[in-house]
Order: sequence, then structure tokens, then C-alpha cells
Amino acid sequence: MRSTFQDELNLLETTLHEEGALVLRALRGAINALEQRDHELADEVIAFDDDVDERYVKVVEGIQSLLARQTPVASDLRLVLAMLHINLHLERMADYCVTIAKLSKLVPEVEPSPRFIEGFEEMGARCEEMTRIAMDAFADRDLARAEVLVELDELVDRANRRVVERILELGGAARMREYGLRMVLVSRALERIGDHAVDIGEQVAYLLTGEFREFTDASHPASREA
Amino acid sequence: MTTHNVTIPVEVGPVEIAQERRAPAPAQREVVFDIRDLAVNYGPTTAISGVTLEIYKNYITAMIGPSGCGKSTFIRCLNRMNDLVPGATIDGQVLYQGQDIYGDGVDPVEVRRRIGMVFQRANPFPKSIYDNVAWGPRVLGMKKDLDERVEKALTGAALWNEVKDRLKKSGLSLSGGQQQRLCIARAIAIEPDVLLLDEPASALDPIATTAIEELMHELKKEYTLVIVTHNMQQAARVADLTAFFSLEVTESKRTGVLVEYDSTDKIFTNPSEKRTEDYVTGRFG
Repeated sequence: MRSTFQDELNLLETTLHEEGALVLRALRGAINALEQRDHELADEVIAFDDDVDERYVKVVEGIQSLLARQTPVASDLRLVLAMLHINLHLERMADYCVTIAKLSKLVPEVEPSPRFIEGFEEMGARCEEMTRIAMDAFADRDLARAEVLVELDELVDRANRRVVERILELGGAARMREYGLRMVLVSRALERIGDHAVDIGEQVAYLLTGEFREFTDASHPASREA
Repeated sequence: MTTHNVTIPVEVGPVEIAQERRAPAPAQREVVFDIRDLAVNYGPTTAISGVTLEIYKNYITAMIGPSGCGKSTFIRCLNRMNDLVPGATIDGQVLYQGQDIYGDGVDPVEVRRRIGMVFQRANPFPKSIYDNVAWGPRVLGMKKDLDERVEKALTGAALWNEVKDRLKKSGLSLSGGQQQRLCIARAIAIEPDVLLLDEPASALDPIATTAIEELMHELKKEYTLVIVTHNMQQAARVADLTAFFSLEVTESKRTGVLVEYDSTDKIFTNPSEKRTEDYVTGRFG
């Protein structure tokens, strides 16, 4: 039994789950900053990204060292590779939270319909749920839960399309146009966070089955309905 | 400001990854050994039992497993080396090119001419480098163009450039890694079909080990190689196919069995058997 090696693997996985928890906090903070126009909170979310990056670097360095010294194979190898990818996805998700926080500070003083805020609240809540499910599926090695992410992502995508439709109805006033532009980017950031959660689910599937496959194929959208 | 002229290829062909490392498709496999339900007993002790597998032409097939699992016993059956062990009995069949090598009237010397063997410890004869390689051909009456044959064998064993100026020196004057390559040259001088290598690099330093592993990749173009190794990473680096042997322990007996046999990639990324997984990841053995 290679107990030192197992300890190192476990430590990496624990760090990755910490990173996941931090992403959830950043996401909630970004949504709240946007809804409440709270610039102070937005600044906190932006600064908070350093905490995520610290875990990100720790995981990358840990994996580098494991590969160099321990030559993981079989399920250990798949775990290491899956963690390398999941780490990257989490880091990107945190970056999108920063994007949302920055955009929330740039919003001009307009009073759009509360339906916007409702739309973002819905997308944000769904992204939180997806992130939680993705990390739980990873922790529990649960393929069925990982696969649920595809359907949840479809709901985020639909919410994204609704937000864009509402933006198109905003009208031509310069401030409204600026507001709309910023909000398209927020919506897009949330939509991407959902995609990364699905990607984490794909890594869970790889870890468990040993096969690389995309849950959905963006270049062949028909296969999604099939 | 500098400008870069970048030529973008109009057509991008399919990406081929590590083509030469990939084994030929199963459909193109040519069976060299067909081993059926092989069992070996040393007196009352069963060393291996129920081993069934095929070995393919121009493949490197590795046998891995914990100490005492019977992997050496297994390859020693492939050229009847176990005949030399008192009390050893063999059941089942070893078909080489369709012929049972344990059948009536089969000459074990002829078997060993076709199926050469290299051992863990390099064992050159206390003779010159030249005579070490020339010995086999002389005994077998292949005396024509002997110099050429010796050069070809030494070149094939990636040793020629290091020894061509001192062929009359003793084989024992070479380094450990060179001695092992000399033994490989000696084995291939009589142009066998198959080379069996029992832990060929376990007594060598990393540089000599790398030389032997590189040589194996070259040799497989002409020969079929079967290697026993303790070093799993060596199997992962050199072999196309890997067989995992383990011990089946009952109250009174410990018997070597074949647990899993598959492409090396499969064995080291996603093995089918839990016992294989536990062994290659170091959780057992």
C-alpha cells in the first residue's frame, strides 16, 4: 500500500473541494453585488479571487509533483487527470464571478424592470446548484448525478435566452443600451459557469468509466434532442 | 516591427499520435504462441494453473505480477527450459506456429534455436566478444559468412559501435549493460523467431536500462518479444500487450494464475479486473 502517495492524492482532492466551496461563495457574492448594486461587495468578490487562485496553484503544483515522482496509473491516473481539469474549470468559474462583479460596478443609474434581476437571480441560483452537484458527484463518484448536469444546464441556457430577449426590448436610449450591453455580458458569464459545471461532470464520468466523452456536443446540437 | 510569415496548411490530415507505439489492429495479429490451459507442477507444488493466452508476431508482450506468481515459470515453458528442472511436469498445450512444442518427437534443442532466451543476470561465456556471438552459429553449423553474422548480431543488439575495435577482448571485460546486450547479440546471432527476456534489465543502471528498452523497440521489428519484468513502468514503457499474473491463495495452496491480459494502455489506464487495478496502483503486492 502506497500510503504516502494516497495521502498526497487525498490532500489534493481536499484542496479542490475547498476551491469549489470558494467558487460558490464568489458566485453568491457576485449575484448579490449585482442585485443590490453593492460596489463594496463587488470589490470583495474581485479580491476574493486570490483565494481561489491560491488553491488553483497549489493543486497544479501538487499534480506536477505527483506525476514527476509517483507515476500514478489506472484509477489513480484518471483521478489525477480529472483533478487537473476540474481545477482549471473551477478557476475559470471564479474568473467569471470576477467579471460579473466588475460589470456590476459599471452599471449606469437606470431603473430597468425587476424582471431582469429575477432573471439573474434564477440563473445564479441554478449555477450554484450545478456547481454543488458537480462537486458532490465528484466527491461521491456518482455518475448519475454528474449526468443530471446536462438537463440543468439546458435551464440555464433557456434563462440566458430570455434575458437576451428582454435586453432587446429595452429600447434605444443611450443609457439603456449601455445597461443592456453590460447585462448581456453578465448573462453570458453565468451561462459559461453552467457549462463549466457540466465539464466537471464530464471529468467525473471519465474518472469512473475511463472514457472521454462530451455529455453534449455544441457543434452537433441535434444530438442533444435525440 | 517584425512580421511573421505564417503558412497555414490548407488541409490538415488526421492527427496520428505515437503511431509506432500502437500495436497493430487485432485483425492483423498473427499468432505465434497459442497457449491452452497451461499448468506447471514442481513435484507436489502447483506453480501455475489454467493459463490460456495467445502471443502475437512482432509484439512485445510483458508479464507482470508479484514475486512467486509464476511469470518466470510461464515464459520458461515457451522454450522448454522447465524440462531442465527435476520434477517439473507440464500440462496443457503450448502451440508454437500451430505445433505442440511438448509433442512427441519434438527436439527441445530445435525449440530453443527458434525461441531464444536472455536472463536476468548477463552470463557471457568467459571467451572473447567475438566468440560469444559466434558460438551459437558454429555449434549449429552456420559457419558461412561468420564475421558478417557476428557484426549483424552485434549491430542488432546496439553494441557494434562500442566493441568493433576490441572483438578479441573478453566478454567479461564489458560493463553490465554491455554484457546484457552481448547476451542479446548471442541470442539473435542464430536468427530465432522469438526472444524471451526474463528480467533483462533488473541488474542494470538506468542508462543501461534505457538502452535495453530502446533496443527492444528495434528488435520487435524482426522478432517477437516476451518479457518478464518486476518493473511495472518498464512494462508500461515497452510492451504492446501486458499480462498480469497473480497468486490464488487457498488454505493449502498458492497457485499462479493469469488474471488479466490486454493492451498495455488498457492495463495501465483502466484495467478490467480489480486485482489488476490494486496491483498496478500499488495497493497490493
